[in-house]
Amino acid sequence: MNRALFRLSLACLVMFVLLLVNINYVQGFEASSLASKPGNARTFDQQFQYQRGSIIADGTGGPLTIANSQPVKGDSSSSGNAIYQRHYPHGAMYAPITGYDTVYGATGIESAYNKYLAGTSPSLAVHNLISLLTGKAKQGASVNLTVSPKAQKAAYQALLSDGGHQAAVVALNPSTGAILAMASYPSYNPNLLTTFDGAKLNKIDKQLLADPSQPLLNRAINQTYPPGSSFKIITGSAGFSTGKVAGPQATIAAPQPLTLPNGNTLNNDADETCFGGHPQVIQAFLLSCNTAFANIGMKVGGPGLQSQANKFGWNDSNLTIPMQVSPSVIPRITDQSLTAISSIGQLDDQVTPLQEALDAAAIANHGKVMRPYLLQSVQAPDLTTLASTTPSVLTQAVSSQVASEVGSMMVQVTQNPDGTAYQTAGPPAVGSLVIAGKTGTAENTVSGAGLDDAVFTCYAPASNPQIAVGVIVKGGGFGADAAAPIAVKIIEAYLGVH
Amino acid sequence: MPRGRRRTELLMLAFAVAVVLFAYANVGFGLNGKLPAGLAEYGLAFAAIVLVAHFAVRKLAPWADPLLLPLAALLNGLGIVMIYRLQESGRNGNPGTQITTIAASTTAAQVMYSALGVAAFVAVLFFIREVRVLQRYTYTLGAIGLILLAIPAVLPDRFSEIPGTGAKIQIAIGGFTIQPEQFAELALAVFFAGYLVAKRDVLALAGRRFLGIDLPRARDLGPVLIAWGVSLLLLVFESDIGTSALFFGMFVAMMYIATQRTSWLLIGILLFISGAYVASKLFSHVGARFTEWLHPFTSANVFCNPTPAAHCVSSYQLVQGLYGMGVGGILGTGLGHGQPYFTPLVQSDFIMTAFGEELGLTGLMAMLLIFGLLVQRGLRAAVAVRDPFSKLLAGGLAFAIALQVFIIVGGVSRLIPLTGITTPFLSQGGSSLLTTWALVALLMRVSDTARRPAPQPIQDEGMTQVVRAG
Repeated sequence: MNRALFRLSLACLVMFVLLLVNINYVQGFEASSLASKPGNARTFDQQFQYQRGSIIADGTGGPLTIANSQPVKGDSSSSGNAIYQRHYPHGAMYAPITGYDTVYGATGIESAYNKYLAGTSPSLAVHNLISLLTGKAKQGASVNLTVSPKAQKAAYQALLSDGGHQAAVVALNPSTGAILAMASYPSYNPNLLTTFDGAKLNKIDKQLLADPSQPLLNRAINQTYPPGSSFKIITGSAGFSTGKVAGPQATIAAPQPLTLPNGNTLNNDADETCFGGHPQVIQAFLLSCNTAFANIGMKVGGPGLQSQANKFGWNDSNLTIPMQVSPSVIPRITDQSLTAISSIGQLDDQVTPLQEALDAAAIANHGKVMRPYLLQSVQAPDLTTLASTTPSVLTQAVSSQVASEVGSMMVQVTQNPDGTAYQTAGPPAVGSLVIAGKTGTAENTVSGAGLDDAVFTCYAPASNPQIAVGVIVKGGGFGADAAAPIAVKIIEAYLGVH
Repeated sequence: MPRGRRRTELLMLAFAVAVVLFAYANVGFGLNGKLPAGLAEYGLAFAAIVLVAHFAVRKLAPWADPLLLPLAALLNGLGIVMIYRLQESGRNGNPGTQITTIAASTTAAQVMYSALGVAAFVAVLFFIREVRVLQRYTYTLGAIGLILLAIPAVLPDRFSEIPGTGAKIQIAIGGFTIQPEQFAELALAVFFAGYLVAKRDVLALAGRRFLGIDLPRARDLGPVLIAWGVSLLLLVFESDIGTSALFFGMFVAMMYIATQRTSWLLIGILLFISGAYVASKLFSHVGARFTEWLHPFTSANVFCNPTPAAHCVSSYQLVQGLYGMGVGGILGTGLGHGQPYFTPLVQSDFIMTAFGEELGLTGLMAMLLIFGLLVQRGLRAAVAVRDPFSKLLAGGLAFAIALQVFIIVGGVSRLIPLTGITTPFLSQGGSSLLTTWALVALLMRVSDTARRPAPQPIQDEGMTQVVRAG
């Protein structure tokens, strides 16, 4: 029996060794990932024990505090110290930017720059140590954003007063990539998620997640829509860049209808003829003739079209601002008939409002796409700057020659009385301010509601671009009617003109 | 002349008491910077309890292993310290949230249970002078064990269910609860030992050989199948997977000691795994354990309304325990500085995570080593004793401690699926404490028997033959 006992002792030894190895794993290796788990009540509790850094919109019209931590009076704190509650003074307006910070997880800037806001960044280690030694409370660093309170307010209110359509808009500085406004509708009030009451938080969290209108979704960067005619900026750029189309004054065949190689027909909007079927490219652009650009697309070919789109930043799944941006998609097509449809922004083309803004910004910035960003600077509690963004070029979309050619076409969209956006973004609407833009009215097979998605992408002033805007209104109808006025409001607010 | 080493035991007991007193004082300093209330009272009471045990051993089992008692006392004392720490959370102006499942008098009760435990310890040593006398009561104790196991299953839920857990393992009468299965553990261990000693020759008979392993004869499978069936019934009717695994594991281990046949070990393990698998498919509460084990952090599994805490049946408790251990890290937060109150019912099955949080990996490893030593001393007694019944009983009981620690610590640290079972000596509650003290008394009795020197042979210069008695 002793032999069996010895073997059993070995079994016991193995069990204890397994336990020891496992707790070493849990407490030694897994500890940090456990600490950052969203449901960790211990960390959740700790986050109320210190003053989390503020988020500040520091662009034109700022600075404006859009998130801060405030000491709560009269709350029975477990340790007797002050406890802090997160507060978003402007609620839903800035929600797509600030995001929220709860035990269930964080989004937006709250998540992306958590290490600064929470003061856990290695660059704050010395500061934290000094605070510890001098007995001062730990404090997070504040994050200053490029967002312009003027532009953001105009953007959110424009979406809000647009009749309840799901919509999103991004405005950025074309010469730096600094994001000036980013609004999404429907939005949510992040203050609802700052409660200390776990049960209440759970209820609100579940409600928001279950809401069919998806208020938590940041449509400006994480939802894609068919670009429709706004894609003609890319198609035109491809035509000029490849030399397949000589320039804006070259004539191009624009029959109504256009019979595609596979026998299907492609029509212009409302089946209208386009300057007798032989327009200059610039004329086809300002009227937004589908058949003309379908022809340009087929001249360039599917792969050429895709490579041009990629140079504008499409199909980039690694873009962060610092939030992850969903890629705008243009598939690689070799079939000529499908290329024709893709080249007018239909078929499987999908775009985010941010990419729409980048398309216009590239044209405005002599063909250079600047990397879009939100972070202006990070300031430690002692006001030293811990980080800041230096603008950088993301891609070269087109040559500056092509950029100015496409830009001249975009100016005609609003300035020519026949231009699709003459009434809503041209002299009748904005007087002497010259906006260069392109409308899009995308057939949205996904929505199925029969209403088209309205798209408008533009920059202004045309002679000295300071702001580029991309707007998409889901089910809004005509791009010129539903989307362009939103962009105009933002531009006017930002430039301070009326 | 071999020595009883009782002075060594006393010295180590003093050390154990000192560790416990320091830990207790540490709780007070950690919580509010002051010496804790009750340091003198609890300290004296604990020292007295331990001394009583020591003098009983001097009198009743002078040759017993000198390590077993100090190890048990240290664990019991640390358990009291942690229960006091948890009781004070959010009470008397201390930081933290009050744990509603702990009363203000829980520590006092735990000290009282410790006294009762030591009383049981002394009683076992007093009444059982030789472990093998228990062999006479093999079937009586077997029947008692089964009845103890069955009582909660047949009682109405309101008497037998631990509120909110679905586990029907207790008898609640007027605010006082006992868990009969704890006592059943000892009764069944005696039964297994007695039965296996009687049948081991038959069970060891080989049947056919398959893959190099001697399979037992089919007709000898009866006992293992019955034990398996009982453990499955426990699992199904009392939702008590941990105890079911513990008893079956103890039985299989003892069968292995008795027969030395690896085949029994394999058959037992296979039976248990297949039983658990089928049960997990048939009964949702068993299946849920696997889901929670594999995906504890999935939000649907994690969240449960924290008030009342006792109503958590999801992985909330497991995850909170893991978070606690994570916060503890290598060195722990220090006693009184952690937040173990986030873990529901932390004073019971999850007490090891509270140690992990406040004493860290270091403290937890030390405590596991204490358990390991306890098991090792028990197995050593089993090896040393000559009587097969005592050998089997001591081996089975020592293995049972190891298995119990493995099941619960492995469960709370996500090594294996979590099954509710008490942590020996540490978890709050009298039944477990009483049983474990009685178990240690049995091990000490076995080691006393083993180490007791044989009566001196009668030496006579004129005779060449030495007569050895016993």
